[in-house]
Amino acid sequence: MKSLSTLFKEILLLVLISGVIGIAAQAVLPNGIGLKTDLILVGNDSSQVAVPAIAINPRGDDTRAENITLAEAYLAHQDGAALFFDARSSEEYAEGHIQAAINLPVHAFMDSLAFLENLNFDSQIITYCDGADCNASIDLAADLKMMGFTRVVFFFGGWQEWQTAEYPVERGR
Amino acid sequence: MADGRNGKRPNILSSAVAEMLVQLKIFLNTRVGFILVQLLRIGLGLLFVYASLDKIWHPGLFAKAISNYRLLPLPLLQLSAIILPWLELTCGVALILNRYHRAANLLIASLLLIFILAILSAMARGLDFNCGCFGLSGEESNIGLWKIAQNMGLLLSSIILEFRFRDESQGA
Repeated sequence: MKSLSTLFKEILLLVLISGVIGIAAQAVLPNGIGLKTDLILVGNDSSQVAVPAIAINPRGDDTRAENITLAEAYLAHQDGAALFFDARSSEEYAEGHIQAAINLPVHAFMDSLAFLENLNFDSQIITYCDGADCNASIDLAADLKMMGFTRVVFFFGGWQEWQTAEYPVERGR
Repeated sequence: MADGRNGKRPNILSSAVAEMLVQLKIFLNTRVGFILVQLLRIGLGLLFVYASLDKIWHPGLFAKAISNYRLLPLPLLQLSAIILPWLELTCGVALILNRYHRAANLLIASLLLIFILAILSAMARGLDFNCGCFGLSGEESNIGLWKIAQNMGLLLSSIILEFRFRDESQGA
């Protein structure tokens, strides 16, 4: 019985060590979160298969990205001040995308970290995906805000609205 | 301190299992068995260290990965995202260093069991998403039977290690 209680103490010790280091590490990690960090559910939760988009801001601000309209997106595009991020797959991107948009597939977000970390975190960023049927733009915006980008909005009308309006597009990778 | 098996009626299945366990114990005490145990111990340890790194660096994304399973309410979700990766790291390191290894191995087995149940429950509810097991990117690691099989394999390694570690701790 003695060895059992020793084992139990060791298990407790390992859990305790992990808990203390884990909580302490959140203050040091660039992307640390807290127990009170808001996890905001956005996106269409009514569909059973749809993955919920969650915006997590490590610094605890109100983090939900705003939606912008086609007109606003077009204005920003004309100014050339904003970065357009296409959240769709690279295949869809290659078939056609908003002119000068950068492909950042949301399902492979972690693969883009090296690229993102070199950007100015105060850059104006507009994410989009196919259109009203997809949540990838919202997911990507949430991921970017969570990463620390301060000026992120999503253009929910997306590729469909842009294409219909016959605004500048391009093909290829 | 008998095992309590004595009073039960013998049946073919349980005696076959018991025989297998005896054979396994004998094998684990051979030289080859010893090497296998060391390989399993270090391999499982390294795997858990590797699996923890991405999650430790991006607790927010890991919280999101957990939320995909739709099992935990909000405060528990953050707590898991904060502690779970570090628990994986601590247990992995403990296994590699061969310190507190039995406790670490039992924790790892419990985690694997929880992961398997979580994936199964998500599959039963028709959810389909990236499992968030070893990293937080890519489509190739969506939940599914292959993920279950992987985790089962790891759980089996963990159980084999427990047989060996229990004998060690009993001074065999």
